[in-house]
Amino acid sequence: MTLQEYTTSAHNFEECMKCTVCTAYCPVVQVNPLYPGPKQAGPDGERLRLKDPYFFNQALKYCLNCKRCEVACPSGVHVADIIQSARIRYDHSAPKLRDRILASTDFMGKLARPFAPIVNGVTSLGVTKTVLDATLAIDRHRTFPKYSATSFEGWLKRHHRSQAAFPEQVAYFHGCYVNYNYPQLGKDLVKVMNALGIGVQLLEKEKCCGIAMIVNGMSKEATKHAKHNISTIEKAVAKGLKVVTTSSTCTFTMRDEYPSLLGVDNSAVRDSIQLATRLIFEKLEAGAKLEFRPDFHLKVAYHTPCHMEKLGWGVFSERLLKMIPGVEFTLLDSACCGISGTYGFKKENYEASQAIGAPLFDQIRAVNPDVVACDCETCKWQIEMSTGYTVKHPISILAEALA
Amino acid sequence: MKPNEFDVIIIGGGITGAGTQRDCAMRGLRTLLIERSDIATGATGRNHGLLHSGARYAVNDAESAEECIRENMILRRIAAHCVEETDGLFITLPEDDLAYQETFIASCLKAGIRAERIDPAEARRLEPSVNPELIGAVKVPDGSVDPFRLCAANMLDAKLHGGQVLLYTEVTGFIKEGDTIKGVRTYNHQTHEEGEYYAPVTVNACGIWGQKIAEMAGVKIGMFPAKGALLIFAHRVNNVVINRCRKPANADILVPGDTVCVIGTTSTRIPFEECDTVHVTPDEVDLLITEGAKLAPALNSTRILRAYAGVRPLVSADNDPSGRNISRGIVCLDHEERDGLKGFITITGGKLMTYRLMAEMATDAVCRKLSVNRQCETATTPLPGSEKPSYKEVADTIWAAPTTVQKAATGRLGTRAARFKDNDRYDSALVCECEEVSVGEINAAIERLDVSNLTDLRRRTRMGMGTCQGELCACRAAGLLAKAHGCVEREREDLKDFLNERWKGNFPIGWGDTLREAEYTQWVYKHVLGV
Amino acid sequence: MKLDTVIIGGGLAGLTAGISLQKAGKKTAIISAGQNALHFFSGSFESMQEAPERAIDLFEEAGIRLHYREGARLMPMGTFRPAVLSLEDVSIFPEGQLPRRALVINFTGYHDFFSSFIAEGLEKAGASCRIRFIRIDEMEHLRLSPSEMRSVHIARVMDKVWEKVVQEVRILLKDEDTVILPQVFGLKDASVPGKIRANIPAKVVFVGTLPPSVPGVRTQQLLRRRYELLGGTYLMGDEVLSATLDGDRVTGLTTRNLQGHPITADHFILATGGYFSKGLESNPEHVWEPLFGLDVEALEDRNDWYERDFAKDQPYLRFGVKTDPELRALKDGKPLRNLYVAGSILGATREDMGIGGGLALRSALAVAETIAKD
Repeated sequence: MTLQEYTTSAHNFEECMKCTVCTAYCPVVQVNPLYPGPKQAGPDGERLRLKDPYFFNQALKYCLNCKRCEVACPSGVHVADIIQSARIRYDHSAPKLRDRILASTDFMGKLARPFAPIVNGVTSLGVTKTVLDATLAIDRHRTFPKYSATSFEGWLKRHHRSQAAFPEQVAYFHGCYVNYNYPQLGKDLVKVMNALGIGVQLLEKEKCCGIAMIVNGMSKEATKHAKHNISTIEKAVAKGLKVVTTSSTCTFTMRDEYPSLLGVDNSAVRDSIQLATRLIFEKLEAGAKLEFRPDFHLKVAYHTPCHMEKLGWGVFSERLLKMIPGVEFTLLDSACCGISGTYGFKKENYEASQAIGAPLFDQIRAVNPDVVACDCETCKWQIEMSTGYTVKHPISILAEALA
Repeated sequence: MKPNEFDVIIIGGGITGAGTQRDCAMRGLRTLLIERSDIATGATGRNHGLLHSGARYAVNDAESAEECIRENMILRRIAAHCVEETDGLFITLPEDDLAYQETFIASCLKAGIRAERIDPAEARRLEPSVNPELIGAVKVPDGSVDPFRLCAANMLDAKLHGGQVLLYTEVTGFIKEGDTIKGVRTYNHQTHEEGEYYAPVTVNACGIWGQKIAEMAGVKIGMFPAKGALLIFAHRVNNVVINRCRKPANADILVPGDTVCVIGTTSTRIPFEECDTVHVTPDEVDLLITEGAKLAPALNSTRILRAYAGVRPLVSADNDPSGRNISRGIVCLDHEERDGLKGFITITGGKLMTYRLMAEMATDAVCRKLSVNRQCETATTPLPGSEKPSYKEVADTIWAAPTTVQKAATGRLGTRAARFKDNDRYDSALVCECEEVSVGEINAAIERLDVSNLTDLRRRTRMGMGTCQGELCACRAAGLLAKAHGCVEREREDLKDFLNERWKGNFPIGWGDTLREAEYTQWVYKHVLGV
Repeated sequence: MKLDTVIIGGGLAGLTAGISLQKAGKKTAIISAGQNALHFFSGSFESMQEAPERAIDLFEEAGIRLHYREGARLMPMGTFRPAVLSLEDVSIFPEGQLPRRALVINFTGYHDFFSSFIAEGLEKAGASCRIRFIRIDEMEHLRLSPSEMRSVHIARVMDKVWEKVVQEVRILLKDEDTVILPQVFGLKDASVPGKIRANIPAKVVFVGTLPPSVPGVRTQQLLRRRYELLGGTYLMGDEVLSATLDGDRVTGLTTRNLQGHPITADHFILATGGYFSKGLESNPEHVWEPLFGLDVEALEDRNDWYERDFAKDQPYLRFGVKTDPELRALKDGKPLRNLYVAGSILGATREDMGIGGGLALRSALAVAETIAKD
């Protein structure tokens, strides 16, 4: 036996040197003093909880799960994983109805889509917003994402044959947002992929990645989704397909949250789940070519979403955008926009959410771009609501710039 | 009576001395306790903190085993806030003789210890960290006890009963008249003042140092210092005490206590002169890890916080200079009967577990000498902080936010934490972030619990006992101490001493994360703070 | 991803090398496994004996003003230490010019600033001192959390309301020639310390707090921004898992985030720091360099790694990666041709270049110069 070759603990909590760096980068602790901060809620609290679960503190629910503490930690401690795992292990209170509704993104999508015009009308009514605010504590300032009358899945099924004709194929995990709210992003992806000679197909059957469930205390339901998605993806990978995505959060969830928070083994397919931006970048680096419009001109400010920061793949979006002729590029300081999925929708978090995002909004106004680019749908809602600037996915910008 | 006259003087501020003072004070005696350093600085604070069920002694020492289980049950009642009722396992590994289990269980039952054979699978369920290769397990009512807290609570209760305590005061000689001890001469290491204190009876409760005190009084006790080294791991790997079911040996007990767990011990005879300077050697560290990992394999990949060593006061059976016949049992010597020296009693041997019984025996002897006829009540009267069964109820009554700070404070102080109910946000600010010790708790300890320096504060509050070993809290607490004592210069020196004291326990295990932390602490204190 | 130079480690050494190389027209990336020791920067480079103009310029272009001035600086525990090159936040007292009357200001209930120690230190040095506590309503909310009354959180508030502190100080100031304030100013807005100095009619001295160091965090953020503006790619929160070698050349790296996407370059710089930053790792048996298995100068017997007195120079802090005169890393006694070493991972193996921050600056500049010439 080699003595103490390495010291390891769950989520590396013992590697915490108490250096306090994480606290400097936690967006929540800056605006919500009821939150104990990542160091206290994470590694410090973990020792106490291991002594007695009695030390579990309900205030851990204020954690956004943005993972910025983990990115900042000089010691490799999975601070946010410690916090979210503690919530899964020790918080046995049932999630509120409101949280269940917010978390069930694909269920809501399925329900709403056939009645899209009505639903969109109703949810945007001032009266409805007031009712939601009062009864469900969904903040009235929030606009529910619009539902699309035709789903992306329906659209791509109709184009199945033309896509199958391409020599190279990828499977696309589109996520709830593209399917129910914004199929255009999916269509943009198809356009870019096709331009590279790649056809896009659906997975056999995908479900919501489950991140909203994880953070809303529905880990059991999330685990079901995780197992389902991984087995679906395994089938695609077995056919030799790469699985591409456009949402940084879905990607991060399926690659990293499944094993570390839900204990769902994704090792067989983890490396095959990739953001489309990475795949495109690699194709271009390997010599593939895209033809761009000569008259394209756009001033773009790129915002790195929290989970993108954690994935470390913002560099691919950045490089692709910089590569487009006519793009004037600014990299915004990497900072949380405050929405963090369903967090900012909750009435009790509204103020904190806006305060967290304020420095980012200020920087956007100072840069004054034509569009803000960003790989995350919830950041898009937050930035558009808070600044009035249009937010587009890098893939959409790429699609627009294609000749 | 003059202010320096007492009914009884107790020398030694370990658990035995504190317990004896409490018992004497509860029986109405005017008591003075004299300690040359701080409370619990000897063997009291340098052991496992195991609330023995007695099972460990059942096979070889039935008397100790019976004492242990009786005291175990008593401590659960009177010291609830110092005790964790974790239960214990005695595991048999493939390399051990499973037949020993039979003898073990029979001996336990005979001593009155509820020993229950359980299935290895059940043992793994009860304690997931246990070596999965175990082939047998017995469950016994072991637990853990916080010796600092226990010692402080005894001393506090003695004071509540009128007792006086002199810390950092060394006994330099005895005041003798003929064959009678009349009192002691002292030297205070902080004020540098000499003093004289008188009492018809003096109790020597100095553990291993009792031999020197006895010599000073003119009598001889044969003691054999035995060093035991232990390691503290940075978090609780186990929640149930794990022992090996075999003849007691090195590093075969793993005890969870508060936020950490402790593996020990080794046993090495050392020369008497080394008692004050024991340190842990690399060989001992390696042995503790290797053997410890057999109890719970995770220990080999768990961060170690500290290494420390204590000295057991083993006493040779009376007047056996060879030392072959050593007792681990309680030794209570009335030197009038034994040596013809009046007014002097030695209480030694025994163990943390049996301190109350030792105190009772010593106090009975004192009372006999003073012709006081009062019954011992320490077995039924709870210590301050343990009055109510559940400290968790108290947690709800103290200041509102946030819950972990109140829970940690009540865990340490028991019902006494109720005095924090009027605290405000300024008081709830954390000094020690690892162990959640607040400004209010630090200030209360400074006011009430005879704190002269940071190390004393650590023993009373757990400040600096966490993962970072005082990296953030030491200077915060130094600020509070400087304010309370009105002396910054002394505090600056104190801070250096504290860092050195922490380092003393760190460097024997200085690798991996401990070395990372050490480098960081060097930066912070040398380059950032300029200590 | 193909680059000219890849730098492993995003602290002071890594950023200094990265900025220098970007300025020299190289395409570089920095891989940084989390934040770094700049967050505990005292504000002074201790082992800088001569004025390194290039370092001063490099910082200046990033919006960080350094000043080169010999003297003593006041430490948080009330002691004085010599300083030569410092951030402009740090006040240097030239020999014989210590304050005579000082007003020490702290925030009520802020325990990470040691006003009584500072006052006592100044008094020992012959000054008379008053300590006063102020309360700023805008930071009171921090008190709701028992742990988060920290320097950076206060600094974030102070970026907005520093004028209130000025007002309070002006009310309290009597005949003092010096005002001592905690170093909690200018986190995002680097101009705040200067504005405070301009508005208080006495010498204003900012003294450090417990970490994080506000000027340190600001320095890190400004250097990083400068590096990115120069076109550098800063891969934050990523970690090198393995390297590929071809003979005596490093050819590529695999990182945790970019597995399956090798990073290749002509040159590599190892600036991964000491033990804290995991540039060096240790177990009971030995100390090693984990990424390339480089030669490490260290003592064999663990008994010799430590001094028992915490305050003494600790032998383990002198251990470091061995290099050739050009700062190329040695492996099995031979230099790797395109792997250079900079910063604290050198330990005391290159004492000619100093220690700590000074070592980071000098070794990084030297390495960047060698690579730029190549």
